[in-house]
Amino acid sequence: MKDLYADKSRDELFYFIDRDEIASEKITAPRYSYWKSVFRVFFRKKINIALIALFILIFAVSFIGPIFWPYDPFENVTNAATYNLSPARALSYFGSDIKWVLGTGTLGNSIFYGVISSARTSLLLAVICAAINMTVGILMGAIWGYSKRFDQGMLVVYNIIANIPYILLISVLVYVIGSGFWPFVFALTVTGWLGIAYFFRTQVMIIRDREYSLASRCLGTPVHRVIGKNILPFLTSVIVTLLATELPSYISMEVFLSFIGVGLSASVPSLGRMIQEAQSAFLTFPWAFWPPAIVASVITIILYLLGQNLADASDPRTHM
Amino acid sequence: MRKYMIRRILFSIFSLLVVIMLVMLLVYSLIERSVIFQTDDTWNKKSNNDRVYYEYTQYQKYGYLTFVDYTAFLKNKYQALVGDNYTTDHDYIVDKNAILDAETYMDNPTVREFMEKYSEEGYTFRFLEAMKYRSGKVKPGGNAYLLAIHEKSVVARLFDYVKGFITVETKNMVQDPELTERYIRIEKDPYSGLFAVVGSGTQHKYLLYFDNRFPFIHQNWLHLNLGVSYTTYRGQEISSVITNPQGSLDVRRQQYPALIGTDQYVDTAIDFHSLSYNSGTVSEVEKQQFPDKYTVYNYNRDGLSMIGNSFVIGLIATAIAYALGLPLGMINARNKDKLADKLGSVYIIFITSVPALAYIFMFAAVMTRLFHLPYKFANAEVRVLAYILPTISLALPSIGGLMKWMRRYMIDQMNSDYVKFARAEGLSEKEIYNIHISKNAFIYLVHGVPANILSCLVGAIITERVYSVPGVGNLLTRAINSHDNGVIVAVAVFYTSLSIIALILGDLLLAHYDPRISLSAEKGGGR
Repeated sequence: MKDLYADKSRDELFYFIDRDEIASEKITAPRYSYWKSVFRVFFRKKINIALIALFILIFAVSFIGPIFWPYDPFENVTNAATYNLSPARALSYFGSDIKWVLGTGTLGNSIFYGVISSARTSLLLAVICAAINMTVGILMGAIWGYSKRFDQGMLVVYNIIANIPYILLISVLVYVIGSGFWPFVFALTVTGWLGIAYFFRTQVMIIRDREYSLASRCLGTPVHRVIGKNILPFLTSVIVTLLATELPSYISMEVFLSFIGVGLSASVPSLGRMIQEAQSAFLTFPWAFWPPAIVASVITIILYLLGQNLADASDPRTHM
Repeated sequence: MRKYMIRRILFSIFSLLVVIMLVMLLVYSLIERSVIFQTDDTWNKKSNNDRVYYEYTQYQKYGYLTFVDYTAFLKNKYQALVGDNYTTDHDYIVDKNAILDAETYMDNPTVREFMEKYSEEGYTFRFLEAMKYRSGKVKPGGNAYLLAIHEKSVVARLFDYVKGFITVETKNMVQDPELTERYIRIEKDPYSGLFAVVGSGTQHKYLLYFDNRFPFIHQNWLHLNLGVSYTTYRGQEISSVITNPQGSLDVRRQQYPALIGTDQYVDTAIDFHSLSYNSGTVSEVEKQQFPDKYTVYNYNRDGLSMIGNSFVIGLIATAIAYALGLPLGMINARNKDKLADKLGSVYIIFITSVPALAYIFMFAAVMTRLFHLPYKFANAEVRVLAYILPTISLALPSIGGLMKWMRRYMIDQMNSDYVKFARAEGLSEKEIYNIHISKNAFIYLVHGVPANILSCLVGAIITERVYSVPGVGNLLTRAINSHDNGVIVAVAVFYTSLSIIALILGDLLLAHYDPRISLSAEKGGGR
């Protein structure tokens, strides 16, 4: 560039330059799209692609599988010879069928089919509960953190409800409304959102009093726009981090509740129930215990890792 | 500060009361009360009116209501009037048979007296008509009943509960005209050789004493009445259920109180510090053994109490978790993105995402295979070995949690001005990390320390179940499964009190550790 204007007279301090058509076509800063950058950073890590592929595989098998392999836990209940068969003995007893590759459980039920149907229940439960709790929790948390008057009342409610033993609340609800799939979802979500809302309230309060929010309020921006445009986008990475811990936590919670005897009813196949049924004899019949335990662990680890990596990618500071 | 604490404590008491009320509402009102008969054989055997009557006796036992039976009322009335052979009294028989006729029973003056008396006290009545065959013979279990029933309201129940929550033993506690001496004084304790606070007229003889058992100083002065168990521990007070020692009898060579100074020794497991007042009659043998009417005792046992088991396991696990978790977190932060950090991250991911049940079983399977450690608590030949697996299992998730947060907070602190300044001053990296950063990072973790220690008293549900540890962790789940309402309320109160205390202690500790933090929002940030 210097060479181009080198012949111009040095006496002039200012001079006109011609419009450069080509240069004016270039935009100095590249267009920034938030979600595009999130996914660019997310897919930069090759492990994420592998994790997604694995997750889709598990998801597909657990949702499509039961159509071809319907699970009936009581199909061999009358035949005591089929109880607690190891994989090798089950295959020799029933013949070579994929159904019996993992052996049989306490009532002669196929563990392979059971694990697949149970994985579906666990995934559904995690997704539905997380969706309800996160939506309600974030909305309530946003209002709770934003309105000081609401805050005082809600803190009292939170301090009281958070102190009621969670197991007690769930068991009472299970007694009152039953232990099917949807009542169980209700029991997990009726107070489950409160913890999320409380966590979110603190985050909102930190950002509520930042200068740009204050300026917005001074200019008369309505509350819902301040929450929706100023505060929530700032908290996207927090929300995703929360999601990463919430999603797997429902699977663990179901396993735990089944273990202490207040889980889903016997008619709903679930990983927690399978683990609970196998745990008492897990030294003698280990094949009944490990498949559901491993599937539950793998699902939770994948969900956790994907969530954490997405949370990392959704932090704008990593987009450089 | 004092004002703040008073307000805080008052608010805590208020929320505790509301929690008790909500829990009572949950267990007494929301759960259909007839579920208690689901597995009840006696209920199955009874039929007709007898079954209804049985249901009311059970409801009363479980604390749902109080009721008075007309027959019991008659018995009291005629026993006072006629004496013990009232059953042959003519008026009694007339009054007793009055309720057999559903149409005319209201004409009987005694029935009216009964109804007037109890309707004044807010009772409602239930008349169970006699069920007869056409021949006039009463069907099995078809006897007539007249019951006065009083449903407890939640507020009344809460009031009754709170009223007797704490009792302090005084020298006028025992109401017995035979007792002449009443005092509370310090005496020499013949069993410990030290001094003890001894009472006469109090429920327990030894109010404060020392012995050679953990925690070495004991008291019987103050009692916390959490509630009474209905089913799981028939009729026992919960606070004594969880604090009484378990295990086999611990027999030692001892002397009865009246025989001290003689050469008569006996091998017995009686805990002479637990002596309490016998309000009945003292047998001849007991009169020779005891100088007074304090003849009721517990036995010494060689095991820990339920809460003791949970606390020992929990406390050691917490100590391990802090001793390992914090340094490991520091190492990970210092070697961020290097091999040590990556290995640490794998552990953290595994522990936080895998269901606790799964990794505890994995751990148990590996450890029993490798080291032949006892798996079930009761099977252990050496008692100490039985504690190893539960303790380590319990420490595993805490180590991961502390590691995760210590690493996170230390990394957050790394670019702080004070770190740059320390570096500019020429401090070594080791000093900066181990002294400056770690201290500042621990500020965020200090709040949870009291909660972690106090939560040991609550026990661990999964760990205690997996290894069959006789601890308090499964008190609540067992009570829920057997509809033991008294235990449910008691445990909820216990949990809630602990979590409230832990929160207050955590705040105080935080303010102490970091003087910049002030709890009360006074003007000018005054402490």
